[in-house]
Order: sequence, then C-alpha cells, then structure tokens
Amino acid sequence: MSFSLTLLSSAALALLTALLPGAAHAAPLPSVASINLCADQLVLTLATPEQILTVSWLAADPEESVLASQATRYPLNYGSAEELLRYHPDVVIAGAYTNAFTRALLARLGYPIVELEPESSIADIAANLRRVAQAIGREARGDALAAELRAREDRIAAARPVHALAAVVVRPGGFTVGKHSLADDLMTLAGVRNVAAEQGLDRWGSLSMETLLRSQPELIVLTGYRASQPSLANATLAHPALRRIRDAGRTAWVPARYWACGLPESLDSAALLEQAAAP
Amino acid sequence: MTAVARDAAPTSPARRADPASADARGTWRLSAALALLALAVAGLSLVVGRSSSGPTFGFGGPELASIVLTEIRLPRTLLALLVGGTLGLCGAALQGLLRNPLAEPGLLGASSGAAFGAVLVFYFGLAGADSLALPGGAVAGSLAALAALYALAGKRGDFLTIVLAGIAINAFAAALTSLSLNFAPSPYAALEILFWMLGSLADRSLAHVALALPLMLPGWLLVIAAARGLDALTLGEETAASLGFDPRRTQWLVIGGTALAVGGAVAVTGVVGFVGLVVPHLLRGRVGHHPSRLLVPSFLGGAVLTAIADIAIRLMPPGPELKLGVVTALLGAPFFLHLIVRARPASGA
Repeated sequence: MSFSLTLLSSAALALLTALLPGAAHAAPLPSVASINLCADQLVLTLATPEQILTVSWLAADPEESVLASQATRYPLNYGSAEELLRYHPDVVIAGAYTNAFTRALLARLGYPIVELEPESSIADIAANLRRVAQAIGREARGDALAAELRAREDRIAAARPVHALAAVVVRPGGFTVGKHSLADDLMTLAGVRNVAAEQGLDRWGSLSMETLLRSQPELIVLTGYRASQPSLANATLAHPALRRIRDAGRTAWVPARYWACGLPESLDSAALLEQAAAP
Repeated sequence: MTAVARDAAPTSPARRADPASADARGTWRLSAALALLALAVAGLSLVVGRSSSGPTFGFGGPELASIVLTEIRLPRTLLALLVGGTLGLCGAALQGLLRNPLAEPGLLGASSGAAFGAVLVFYFGLAGADSLALPGGAVAGSLAALAALYALAGKRGDFLTIVLAGIAINAFAAALTSLSLNFAPSPYAALEILFWMLGSLADRSLAHVALALPLMLPGWLLVIAAARGLDALTLGEETAASLGFDPRRTQWLVIGGTALAVGGAVAVTGVVGFVGLVVPHLLRGRVGHHPSRLLVPSFLGGAVLTAIADIAIRLMPPGPELKLGVVTALLGAPFFLHLIVRARPASGA
C-alpha cells in the first residue's frame, strides 16, 4: 500500500517538475540500491553520494572492485530481498545473472529493477553507463562519461605499437578469453593479437598448457586474482611450462578487477597492455 | 527436540505390555508433539530475519512489517516445512518399500534426477522461473531416476544392489546437471550448480509455494495411500500378496508419489540432502518397526529439521547466506553417525 502511494506521489512530483521547468532542481534524484558488483561500480561512478542507499559487499573488496575505497562509504548489502526492503529504494540495479529468485521477488514487490547484461565490448560499457544514468536521473553525467570513454579509446588506439604481438591470456584455473569478450576488445584496442580468438575461441574457454606452448605467444597476459590466497586455480599460473614461456618472452599483469566488469577504468588494462607490448 | 524426548519416556514400558496399541498411541503422541514443535519453529522462523549486519528479530518497523511477514518470511517458512516434510515422508516410505535403511530421495537419485530435469527446462529456454514447465521437468527427472532404479534393482530387493544402483543413478544425474550447466548459454549459469546441488530457500515468494504445493500434495497422498501395503511388505512380497496387498501397486504408489512430491520440492529449492535419510532413523525407535507408523512423524520431523536448518542459516554472522543443504547435512550428519554407531551390533531397518 505505502509503496503504491509513494509511486503515486513520485508520479505527481514528476508531473510537477515537467510543468514547472524552474522546479527541476528541487526534484530529488531517485534513490538507488545496487546488488551486483558491476552494477555497484557503475552506480558509484554515476550517482550523487546522496542517491546511493547501499551497494553490495563485493564492491568494497579491493580484489574485486576498482572503486573499493569509495564503496566503503555506503552501507553494504549481501543481496537479499529482506535487506533491500529496509532501504526502500526508488530503483534497484542488478546484473542479468544476479539471483533470479531475488530479482523475481523484488519485481513482485513493485520495485523497478534494472538488469544489466555483462559487458562484452567497450561499446557495451558506454551502453551500460547510459542505461544506469538514465535509470537514476543522471543522463548528463552518463553522456559525459561515455564521451570521455570514447576519447580515451581514441588516444589509446593512436599509441598502438606498430608490430602487433601475439598474445595469450592465462587466467587462474587455465582459462583464457576469445572473441566477443571485453578482454579481447581491450587487447585489440591495445594493439596486441589475441591468439585464442584467432583460433576461433568464442567468449571464454579453457586453455591447456599444450595449446599454450604450441601457439608460441610473444606476450603472456596474466590476470592476477587473490594471488596470495591458496587455490588450485592459482597453482596453474605456477606451471613449469608457463614459467619457461614467461622467461623467454614478455609478461603483462592485468588485475582481474579491470576485466570482471566493464567500467571506464577497464581501459587502464589496455594502457597496461600497450606498455608491456611497447618495443 | 526436547518435546520428543519427554514424550517418548512414558510410552516405552507400555509398549512391552501391548505392543500394537502402545505403538499406535506412541505414534499419535509423537506426531502431536512434533506438530506442536513444527508450529513453534514456524513461529520462530517468521520472527527471525537477516540484515546486512547479521540476524535480526522482529519485522523492521510498522510500515515494513506486513510485507516482510507475508512476502518474505511466510513463503520461506512454508517452503521449509513443506519441502522438509516431503523429504521426511518420502524417505520413510522409500526405506519401507526397499526395506533398506539407506534409501532416501537424495541417495537414490530422485532429488538429483529432479534437479537435472529442472535444469534442462530452466537453462535451455523452455520456461521462465515461474511457469509450470519447471516443476514438470523436475517431476519427469525424479520419476525417470526412480523408475531406472526400480527397473535395475527393485525386484531383487537386496540391500547391496539397490544402494549401489541408487548411488550410481544419483552420481549420473548429478554429473548430467554439472555437464549441462557447463554447456549452458551463459558462463554464469555454471555457478548455479551450487544452488541446484545444495539447495536454498532464499528469497522464494508465495508464487513458488503455489508452484510446488499442487505437486507435493497429491504426492503425499499417494505415498500415504501405500501405508498399509508397506506394512504388509515387511513380511515379504509373497506374504503381502497372500494378505491381499498387491506389491506392485504399493511400489508404484511410493515411487510415483515420491517423484511428484520431490519433483515439486526440488523445482523451487534445489537438492536438499540428508533430511530424508536422517529423520526416519531418528524417529523409528519411537514408533516401532511398522513403516506406516513412521510416515506422519517423519513428515513432521522433516519439516522441523528443515525449518530449524533454515533458521540457523539466518542466525549466522553477516555474509552471503549458506546453502540449505550444507546446514541440513551439518545438523543431520552427527545425529546419523551417533545412530549408526549405537545401532551397529543389530544392523538393519
């Protein structure tokens, strides 16, 4: 009941601001709760501090998030519907793969939810920036950041090395990235050739040490993720065969948080790759 | 559980005097005590919540109270009771049918078959999360697993064959689920293997209750309709037939009922292990060895155990929620170990 009243009153408010152009500044921006790491970081990038009610706990983890120190200023949630009810947000930003039950329950309770598809290209970053900006009434900021993103893309493209090094990404657990992925797009931008994509790998897949050796990469791109914490996945990075290739060629380190979510900061990884590939 | 212990003490001497009627009285008293306990646990489950800073008690302010109570805690509590009851009831019935103390929906592949059926429907574009195709897939998977088990090993009915066949079918169905999630259109789906294998009640709504209940209810009725036949089967198939009970009818009632009820449960909660195995064992000593007398107490006991496990999840320190199957196993396994160590010299159901 109280929620439909709020809806009604916010509709009335919207009408009022439409009728009185001068009143636009008085209308408060919608309050936002975010329940997904990538959504969190876009919200932190776009929203005013007053708008943000809560972000997810992963956003405050420096291993996962590029905006961790910013996220710690807000209450953190673990993404359950009951937690979010207490914040009573005007809009909820989630990922397309955030717990389906939670999304369905919040929708059932009448909360507007924006579900973000994971970014698989630099263009997707701009699209999601605009989408979140629109949902939270920060269109101008979204457009400005998207334009800034494109300008930076152009600057990085202009500084590409002449010779494109053959590169392979090795992620913990022996995974690599193929075409139609954000990482591949960033590698292309930085002027390195993604061997796995050239061999036809789509999005992501596993990479055996044998394939890696046979593809004779000039540049190994390692993505570090919780390297100091023991895991079988990280043990793959210490494989002797991998060590031998690394000793022979070049290595670039890209922290996993730059590729986990598509953000303006993701372009930092292209700059890192460009540096590693520079003659 | 204290109500159970208090209730059991006075019935034991009486059982020696007149076993049959004392057992019946004991069953009713036990059921009444468990029903009261289930109500108390359900009440507690409605009051315990979870915020970002850990467990909370109450409903978080008057304007939120009705939504929190009816839309969040009520469906969760109802599903804990209904799913736990289903697993307890079906575990007791399968143990009676197969005359094997290891039988339970989880071990014999009914649950993992259901999970596989649901995963196929859900991730390969056949249905949204709330449509009827999802529980339909779960029921079909559960039925296929139990039918395969029965075809392979049911007639011989010996201890080792059934359990080994059940374990193989269970592992096969679980492997198919993992395999299909790895091939799912999105890499993120692979993470949800955890949900389908370990179960969860987080953020279910009344729509899920409405989805599962129409399958569980007829499932329970089918299983309960087999009660007398299960008693007769304890005397062996031939004796049962001579008493006028068709063993095949009993078998299909239990298998069909379990497939329906477990399929409905798994479609909304994933696989919740251990309840169906542990609960009948916990209660068997108190009702005697008639499978029929174990059915209702096992239903109630399963409901209580699952609801307690789900409350325990909400009482954990702040962090992402634990999976329900993890907690039912954490609570159930020590009980079960205690029982088998105590009962080892005189093995058997």
